Formats: sequence, C-alpha cells, structure tokens
Amino acid sequence: MWLRSASFVLDKRLQQQEPSSFFHDPRDSAQPPPPSPSVDPMDQNPDPNPNHGISAYYQTRAEHHAVVSSDWLAQAQAAIGRGAAPPSGCWPSAAASSAVAARTGSVGGGGGKPFSVIDEFNYWRKKPDLAEAVAAIMALAAVIRSSEATTMMELEIELKKASDTLKSWDTTSISLSAGCDLFMRYVTRTSALEYEDFDAAKLRLIERGEKFGEISLKARRTIAMLGQDFIFDSCTILVHGFSRVVFEVLKLAASNRKLFRVLCTEGRPDRTGLRFSNELAALGVPVKLLIDSAVAYSMDEVDMVFVGADGVVESGGIINMMGTYQIALVAHSMNKPVYVAAESYKFARLYPLDQKDLAPALRPIDFGVPIPSGVEVETSARDYTPPQYLTLLFTDLGVLTPSVVSDELIQLYL
Amino acid sequence: MPDVQALVNDFVLKLKRRKIEGSHASARHTAELLRSVISHQRMRQTNQAGALIDAVKAVGEQLIAANPVELAVGNIVRRVLHIIREEDLSSTATAIEGLGLSAGSDDDDEGQYEDRPALSAAALAAAARSTLRAPSLQTLLGDIPGSAVTPQPPSSWGDSEGKSKSADKNLRSRKLKHDVIEAINELIQDIDTCHEQVSEQAVEHIHQNEVILTLGRSRTVKEFLCAAKEKNRSFRVFVAEGAPRYQGHVLAKELVGKGIQTTVITDSAVFAMISRVNMVIVGAHAIMANGGVVAPVGINMVALAAQRHAVPFVVVAGSHKLCPLYPHNSEVLLNDLKSPSDLVDFGEFSDCMDFGSHGGSPLLHVVNPAFDYVPPKLVSLFITDTGGHNPSYMYRLIADYYSADDLVVKQRSTS
Repeated sequence: MWLRSASFVLDKRLQQQEPSSFFHDPRDSAQPPPPSPSVDPMDQNPDPNPNHGISAYYQTRAEHHAVVSSDWLAQAQAAIGRGAAPPSGCWPSAAASSAVAARTGSVGGGGGKPFSVIDEFNYWRKKPDLAEAVAAIMALAAVIRSSEATTMMELEIELKKASDTLKSWDTTSISLSAGCDLFMRYVTRTSALEYEDFDAAKLRLIERGEKFGEISLKARRTIAMLGQDFIFDSCTILVHGFSRVVFEVLKLAASNRKLFRVLCTEGRPDRTGLRFSNELAALGVPVKLLIDSAVAYSMDEVDMVFVGADGVVESGGIINMMGTYQIALVAHSMNKPVYVAAESYKFARLYPLDQKDLAPALRPIDFGVPIPSGVEVETSARDYTPPQYLTLLFTDLGVLTPSVVSDELIQLYL
Repeated sequence: MPDVQALVNDFVLKLKRRKIEGSHASARHTAELLRSVISHQRMRQTNQAGALIDAVKAVGEQLIAANPVELAVGNIVRRVLHIIREEDLSSTATAIEGLGLSAGSDDDDEGQYEDRPALSAAALAAAARSTLRAPSLQTLLGDIPGSAVTPQPPSSWGDSEGKSKSADKNLRSRKLKHDVIEAINELIQDIDTCHEQVSEQAVEHIHQNEVILTLGRSRTVKEFLCAAKEKNRSFRVFVAEGAPRYQGHVLAKELVGKGIQTTVITDSAVFAMISRVNMVIVGAHAIMANGGVVAPVGINMVALAAQRHAVPFVVVAGSHKLCPLYPHNSEVLLNDLKSPSDLVDFGEFSDCMDFGSHGGSPLLHVVNPAFDYVPPKLVSLFITDTGGHNPSYMYRLIADYYSADDLVVKQRSTS
C-alpha cells in the first residue's frame, strides 16, 4: 500500500470517524469524490457501473485539458440543474458544501470556521495556468493569513491540519501532496531560524507562499530554456499527454526558429493529443497525430520523447498519464532518449515498487457503445515509469539524471 | 593590462590553430593564463569578486570560442569562477562574523539591530552560502539567488561603521586576490599530479593474471598500467592500434619497455579479441555531466563490444576533464574533423577529390572525426583523482567543482 508517513495512520483514523452518511447517492454526477475517499468506493459498492465516480484528479485534468465529451456535458448539466451553484462552483448542493465546511471545521479543531481551505484551494485551482501544487501553497498561505495563532507552534499545527485536509480531499494527486509537504517543510525550517518577532516571521511566510506562484511560472521558463537546447534542427519529437511544461519547451524552441516536427499521441480517453495538436498547429509546428497503438510503429522515425509528469518519485521514476510507461518501454528498446519536463515541487517522497502501489485515480471511459454488464473496465488514469527508462529530467533545479532526485529529496527532508 | 592582453591573444591563436594538443596541456595553460589575468587585475573598493568574475568571464569567453571542442579550457574557466565565488564567500563569512561581534557593542542609532547582529549575521552567512550551491528543493521557497555574490551585507555594515571598517575592507580585498591565486595554484598542482593520483588506485583494480584491453594511447592509462606493474601485478595488455594516428604502437613500445607483456591488434579485431579480455581500460577526452564520455574515435566500438561480452569498461581521467555540460548534440557539436591526409595519400586520390571537376562537388569525401561519444550506460566505472565512481554519481563531483551560474560563460552586457 502506498504509505505517506506515520501521520498517515492518524489521518486515516481521523477520517474513519466521520459518519459515512456523507456518501452521496448521485455518484455519477459531476462531483468530486465523497469527502471520505479513504473508505474505498470500490469496497463499498462493487457495482458494475463503469462510471465509478470521477476522481478529483481526473476532474482537474478534464477541466483544464479535455475536449468536452457528450456524457461529460450531460453530467455537468445534471449537476447544475440540481441546485444553486455556490461561488466555488464545484459543490452542487448547499448541504454538501456546509457539510464539508463543518468537517473542515471539525478537523481544524474549532467550531465551524468560516474560512475553508478547500474553498480557497478551489479558487486558485480554477486558474488554468496554475499548477495544483502552487494552488495548494497559495491556499496554505491564505490559511496563515487568516489564522489567529500567536506562536509558531500553533501556526504549524494549524497548517498541518489544513494541509492534511487538502491532501485527504484528493488522495490521488501527487503534486498536491508534494506541494503541501514542501511548504510545511519550509515553515518548519523557517521557524527554526529563530525569528524574534512572530509577526515578521508570519509575514515572511505569507509573502513566500504568495510569491510561489511567480516561482512556478519562472520554473517553467527555466525548464523551457534548458529543454530547448536538446531540440536540434530537423528532429522528430514524440509527445504524450498535454503538459503545460512540455508545451512551454516546444514553444520556446519554435520561437528560436528551430525546425522540428511533433508526433502527438491521441491520448484516449482524455483526447489530450487533440488539444495539444491544436496548440502546436497554432504555433506553426508540423504536427502528426497518432493513435496510442501506433507509437511502436512510428518509433523508429522519432528522435526523442518528451513527456511531463504529475509527480516525480524518490527512485527517479515518474507518475504520469496512462500510456507513458508503454511509450518509455518502446523508446528504451529502440534506444531513443526519453526526456521528462517537471518542476521541482513535484518531487514526492513516494517509492512505488510496481504499478499497483499507486493510489488509484479512476476515470470513466466512454467506449461509444454500451458494455455488457459482466465486463470489467480498467479505468486507472495514470501509470508509473521506472527510472531506468528515463534519460534526463529537466527541472528548474537544472538538468538532472534520475539518480539525482533522491539526493535532492534527502537534502530537503533530512 | 596590455601585456596580459597580449598573452591572452597569443593563447587564443594557439588554440585556434590547434597548436596545443591534449586536455592536460590546454588545462594547464588556461589555468596559468587566468592566474596572470587575476594578478594583473586592479582591485576596486567594492564588489571585488564581481569584478574578478567579469574579468575572467571576458577572457574565458574568448578562449572557449577559440576551440569549443577542447572542453578542458571551458572546464578550467568555470573552475576558476567557482574558486572566486567560494573564496569570496568564505572571506565574507569571516568578515561578517568579525563585524557582527564589534557592531553589537557600539551600535546605538540602529536600535533594531541591537541584539540581532550575531544571529542575523549567521543567518545571512547561511543564506549566502546557500546561494553558492546549486538551486535545490531547500532553496526553492527561500531567497531567490539573484547575483552570484551578496555584496550588500558587508558594504552596508561597512558604511555604517566608518573608517575602521574601510581599512578592514582594503585588507579583505587584497586577501581575496591572494586567496584566489593560491587556490588557482592548488588547481594547477592538481592538474599536474592527476596522473599520480589516478595511478595510486591501480592496485585496487588490476589483479593477478588479468588481461586488459585498451585503444590508442592515453597517458593516464599508461601510468595506470605502469603503477600496477610496479606493484608486481602480472597482467597482459591488448593494445588496439587506434587508426589513423596509430598511437597504440607508441603505447605498446612504452609498455614493453616497462616489462609488460603486450599484444598489438587492429581496431577491427576488437570484437574478435574481446572474449579473451577481463577488463577494458581507456582514457577520455572529456566526461559530460550525464556520465557520458567524449573519447578518441573507436572507443564507442570498444564500449559496445565490452557490453556485448559483459566485460567491465573502466574510464580513467583527471578531474580537469569533468565538464558540467550535457551533450545534447554530441556527434555534431563535440566532434573535431581532422585532416583526411591521415587516411589517404593525396597523390593517389587527387583526381577523385578534385574540386574542379563534377561541377565543384567531388564524388569522394574523406571524413576523419577525432572523437566518439560513449553513452553513460556503457561505462562501468570512472576512476578520477578523487576515487572510483559510478556514471550516475558524476553530477555530485560536478556540483562540487562548478557553480550553476557559470554554465554559460558569457560576459554580462552592461546595457
């Protein structure tokens, strides 16, 4: 099982105390997972419905990346029709939002706090350019701003609770938990620097947290500069999934007048490839779309593979959209380099040993025709690529080989 | 300064005309030249380190442009820049601590700094030290390292204190130059003694009754093997001749002179002979940041043969060959095409290579590349003067010797 830390056990216990009445019936609505995701929906309701509820992970991707599909639209309509949409836009019923707020309050150790870190997080997450980890850190900075703590210890405890709330709201997102951990680590280290004045320290933390958004944009530019060096004239690049970082790299290379062409996988069922090819065509880069199965067929004309990452794990491997592992295997067997573009705040203290070690992020797959009832569907949205299939990682810390990742994490955490 | 400029121009010319051969000689000359540049540099009052860095960058840019394939030149330039930054940092740290102690006693108008100086001095020093290291997860949320050195703390303290501190600063400035030149002397000594330091480890790697294969002639390999022989290890060496320069013949004669049983083979026979070999030891022209090796032509073939037959492939190199760059287009950008006269006699082929016939484009081309790129997965071990390392470990050595700000040696434009 995927264990995060010793506090994971405590977190799990805390959540299991919640009444499972929070389980909403319309699970196929356009709603984030029930607020107690640790109670595995698979166990509770082994129904043959392929729409196993959309995990928040997939929902994020869908909101930012996907071409709207018809059943998705139907679900969205149903959600809007149900009740007044609250300002955060995600919770279809007032009951749900107040329930979550109450839960946040109860976990936050106080009465119903008017400030909800989840709402704050959702507000930041809406911005399409902002990565999840950045939104998390902005939300945590807002927690500091609105906190009434008077000592560092109290502040740290509040932050820890808020961070745990965020993490449990979406257990499947790695960059979210990596971002929270990074900020918590920074807070701990800052408090150790013995600031005489609590208010000064608090201001500094808020300032740093809010500046982090700039840092993430700068990170993408740094990565673009490093990555575009590796693109030479008349090369063919294979991309998978729509990563904003990879797009930044290709954009910079194109603006530096490098001549290259891109092979884009379709990326079923998100159809990220279609979106990516639209963007690239707008830049004037020659693009060719492939179906996912045509990767091995086209691999010999490819010079390099570029992918993004949802998370970079301690072994130096990456967790990314489903299909990345397959492409890396094919590329490795044909001696093609696989380059990963990822910001450094995506480094997470995870060590998956195989594919099943990841917390499942499930998503509905529409085959276009009804599936017979006895047939199961593999609905996992992402996979783990081990480090031996990756050549180099482009991060804002520089160009790294996969073995450097654990070094960086050790430096940060020990 | 004019005589220094003459020295620089002279060296640039030699590099352009490829008069200086080999990374050892290039590294040594570069270090000596930079030492002269620094010793002739007139020191300003403030931000001496910045001035030194600019001066070195200006010269370094010319040197690197003169012969971009000779990576040792760029390596030494970056090493010197790193030395300047380090020396400045250590002198700043000691200065701040010294100032901090004195400032705490006689500071009365700057009330808020009263009991702070010692603490914040340490914090500042820590922060400054972290700007020297490569950006890491730790510094991600911290101060964004803008400039290479932090001149603000010392100068602000100095200004607030007055005359006594300016005298201190003069002392510091002279000391900086002195420290840097001392460090460069150490660097030159390291370059000179790299062969001995590598050879000391020979005994651990070469055991009794081994059969070793090498290609061409590398001075480091020669000394490595001779050191093992001196410790009375009995082993045999297969030397591939290393066409078209046939330096392997020279190496074979030298090894026989030391009493080592040697066999000379052609390059094409490597695959045939590799199954009889225990270990392959070769030298390198440069080691890149990902652990890949730029080596004399033919060594990629030897590496592939070694991998095919599960023979350990060991690369010996001095630390001045460690390059912080990544080979993104190694075959094109890092290769030197030498004269075809090594390969074919111009007299015999003069009609085929005549640019006058066939519309100015001859049908026969003769290509003589000087280097090969060996990817890191083919290398088993690197032996440098600091010890034996894995290819995936090279980034650590590089982080020790170089600063991240120096990867692109370009003089900052003043506009």
